[in-house]
Formats: sequence, structure tokens, C-alpha cells
Amino acid sequence: MPNPSNAPMIRARSLTKRFGERVAVSGIDFDVNPGEFFGFLGPNGAGKTTTMRMIAGVSPRTSGELEILGGDPDREGARIRAEIGVVHQQETLDQELTVRENLLVFGRFFGMDRKVIATRADELLELFQLTDRAKDQVEPLSGGMKRRLSIARALIASPTILMLDEPTTGLDPQARHLLWDALQRLKRGGTTIVLTTHYMDEAEQLCDRLVVMDQAKIVAVGSPRQLITEHASREVLELRFPGGTDSLPTTALEGIGDRYERLAERVIIGCENGEAAHARALASGLTPESWLVRRSSLEDVFLRLTGRSLDE
Amino acid sequence: MSATLAQLLPHPTRWRHVVSYMLSVYRREWQGSLFSAFIEPLVILAGLGIGLGVLVGDRAAAITGGVSYVAYIAPALMASSAMNLGASEAAWPILARIQWVRVYHAILATPLNAADVMVGAIAFMGGKLLFTAAFFAAALLAFGIVTTPLGAIGTIAATALTGIAFAAPVTAFSVTRQNDQGFAFIFRMIITPLSFFSGTYFPIENLPGPAQAIAWLTPLAHGVALDRAFALGRPLPDAWVHVAVLLAWAIGGTMVASVLFRRRMLK
Repeated sequence: MPNPSNAPMIRARSLTKRFGERVAVSGIDFDVNPGEFFGFLGPNGAGKTTTMRMIAGVSPRTSGELEILGGDPDREGARIRAEIGVVHQQETLDQELTVRENLLVFGRFFGMDRKVIATRADELLELFQLTDRAKDQVEPLSGGMKRRLSIARALIASPTILMLDEPTTGLDPQARHLLWDALQRLKRGGTTIVLTTHYMDEAEQLCDRLVVMDQAKIVAVGSPRQLITEHASREVLELRFPGGTDSLPTTALEGIGDRYERLAERVIIGCENGEAAHARALASGLTPESWLVRRSSLEDVFLRLTGRSLDE
Repeated sequence: MSATLAQLLPHPTRWRHVVSYMLSVYRREWQGSLFSAFIEPLVILAGLGIGLGVLVGDRAAAITGGVSYVAYIAPALMASSAMNLGASEAAWPILARIQWVRVYHAILATPLNAADVMVGAIAFMGGKLLFTAAFFAAALLAFGIVTTPLGAIGTIAATALTGIAFAAPVTAFSVTRQNDQGFAFIFRMIITPLSFFSGTYFPIENLPGPAQAIAWLTPLAHGVALDRAFALGRPLPDAWVHVAVLLAWAIGGTMVASVLFRRRMLK
């Protein structure tokens, strides 16, 4: 393996992807280190999926450098793809096969021996709590089960890197937590995991390190804690104005905390102490319909960096 | 986007995993297709023998070269039925795995490349065509139309090749589709007319000159010529030309399908 243990698993420099005139990924740099849980956080259309596709070797880059496990995915695609497990955002399971057959068939694509595949498939079914459903067709499975099966399938050849594109979109809270637990276990087992998400809590829960992407660019890099410390204040005061925030006087807003963001019906105020900031807001004549104080999250980092909320 | 040769060519062995995947899927439905493979030639031969054959009687002796009209058209219908099977196998099942079940997206994330997937998919269709052709040949033997082992083997091989000569270019068409609307056009405007004007029911020489030229450019005319010669044990001086045209459609179609599939999936 031309990949000494300390070298990054994935290394991108000025990585760029254009579709005609549209720039999907614009000159981004990042390293993913061995054993790391690495995230791409950003709204839909930020360039996360395109970046994942370039890493997975199914989207040739327009320019820049991209090195995966010491090789170029555009030139050593087959070798690199053999080391990467990919879970797509949309379902790609074969509906005509059973749960277990989906795993068996997939192992063959990696040139694995049938006996080895069978053993590995049973391990994975156990790990992802699908053993009871092994002989069932895929279609009647719940969304969470299908997603777990997709991950199990991506792990059939014991990849060095597991890539997940929006793995919990569309899942109910219980299914999400079950999936998060499974991913944490994998990480403890040494698998390098790369995921994209537009869920703040998911990125905060899972990622050792992440990049925040917006409009084809990386706008921040770090651990969730670092990003919050660096780009957000300790606490956040949210004031709610159902009638709109346009008419609120800027002078009143400016004095409340360290900084503020004016959204359609909310004003978000970054501050050291939320209670004290609320008192100052009332003193300056603001009359919010409701208010709350919370610790800063990645959402606030994103808001601060882009001036937009993630769900807008 | 420039692709290296290795990205455009199939790997020597990996495409076979697609065949084995398709066999896993096929295992669940083969009884059904066994039934239709068995019934279809019987229905065609019985229907034509009892109906059309009796109606035509010896009036077609001038074109049949002495054999009954049923014996004349039966090998042509064998080729025509392979055309239908090849084209339909290359239409919906291919598009489904790109667009609806999306399983090809998952396969391209493994070491397989686009050409491996296309070659594997078309090879599987070839297997299915051979299997179906064997039943048709058995029916021709049973009806006494084919009487020699060479006739049986020759018609099976030529029929399967005819089917692939349609399956490969139709696959190339399917991989460019976003929905199945184009398939109706292919079947109505190409497949159905070809089944009439490829020397099936009457010789191509009866067509006007330009139509003859078009017929000879398409695969079915060559499949019909080969099947008829093998089935009736007649000499066919230009046999290698017929085989070459069919091979050109099969190989050319597979190559075009591989390039277009890659372009569609690897953006």
C-alpha cells in the first residue's frame, strides 16, 4: 500500500468541478485523516454530493488535485473504488433480490470469494440487526432498515473508507439514532468515515472534524467544538416577531449582544449571557412575542458564516 | 472529459459478475420465462400452420423453393422473435436499473466500470436469447421443419446473434433515456416494420430497390437469411457477410452503449 499510516486518506487541493458554466465545487482544500469521522456540512446545492462523487471516482474533476489512498481516482479508479464503500442518498438496492442476496451479489463485484462473502454477509446482517429479515424481499423493509442494509452492503468488502451521502434524510428520530450508534461502532473499529449532511445535530454528534460548505466553497474547517468557539458566541438569544423583523430599529438590536442576525421572523443574538441579553432587549423597547436562550450550535456557525439559515 | 482506454474497455473478468448478478435475479423468474419460451414457438407454428399455411397452400411455391409456406416462414419467425426479445430486454430492464431501482449507480461504486456493466448486461441477454432459441429449435425439430443437428445448432446460434444485434444498439438507446416514452417509438417504428420487411413472409427482392438496401442494413434480414439456410439445409454463399453484419451491430452497439452509459453516469 502506498499509503503510510500518517498520510491523509483523502487529500484535496484547489479541487474544482464545473458543469458547463455552473461551478459546483470551487477550489476546495481538505484532508481526511485515517480513522477520522469527517463531515461535509452545508445546505442542498452547496457542492457536497459532487465532492463525494469525485472522491468515489464517479465524477472526474475539472481541475485541482485529488488523492485518495495515495492514488488519483481518475486514473486508478478500480483500485480506489475497491477500498471505498459508498452509500448513496437515494436507495440503490435491488428490489428483486432478498436482503441477504443483495449483500452476496455485491461481494462478487469486489471479486471476493463466495464463502468469504457469505460469512461477511452474516456478520453484517447481525451488526445491522437485519438477521431476522435476511430472507425477506427488500421492498417491505422500513426506511431505516433499507438504509442499514445499504450501509451493510457498502461494507461487504471491508473498505478502508466508508462514504455516506445524507445517510439519515427521511428517517424518523428512532431510526436516526439507531444508525448513528451503528456508525459510531464502525468508527471505533477503525473505519474512516466521510459523510455529508445538512443536519447540524448529526454533524455535531458524529464528526471529529468537518468542513462547512456554502455555494461551492469551504467556508470553515474544524471540530464541531472549535467551530462553535471560533465562530459563535457562548449563548444565543432568539427573539420571535411573527409580524416580521423589518421594522425593528437597528440601534435597538445592536446594543443587545455581540452580534445579531435578522431573519424573516426571528432575530438571533449572539452573546455571553442570554438572560442578561434578554433583559437588555426589553429595556431597549423590543416586544418579542416569545424568546429563548440556548447554547450556540453549528447552526449559528453556519448563520454567522453565510448570513443564512440552513433550512432556508 | 478525456477518458483513458482502461476506462472505456471492459475488464477481462469483472463483467462476468454482472452476468452472475443477473442470474441471481433471473433465478426468481426463470420458471415464468421457461413457460413462455416453450409456448411461444408452439403458438406461432400451430397458428401459422393451421391458418396461414393452409390459406397459402402451394401458391407460394415460387418463393419457397419447394418447401411448405410454414417451413419457409418458421425459421424467419424464430429470428424475428429473438429481435423482439433482445430489444425488450435491452429497453425497460436497462432503464430501470439506471433510473428507477438505480442499482447501476451502486455497481459503478465498485471496481467495475461502465463497459463492464454494459458488456455483462448484454452478455446476460445473449444467454437468455440462447436459452429461448433452444426451445424454438426444439419446436422446429418437433414439427419436422429442422431435421439435422447442424440445422438445430446453426439456427440457435444465428438466432441468439440476431437477438444481440438488436439488444446492443437498443441498450445504447436506453442508457440515454430519462423515461420509457422513446421505447414505444422504437417498437412501433423500427421493430414492428422490420418484422414484415426483412424477408420474413416474402423475399426481400420483392421490395422496391431503396427499401431492399435499407432492409439489408438492419440485422433482421441477415438473421432471417441465416436461420432459413440452416433450418432448410440450403447453401448460403454469403453466410460470412450475414454473420459479419450481425457481429458489427452487436459489437458496435455494445461499444456505443458503453461510451453513452459512461457519459450518462460519470458526470
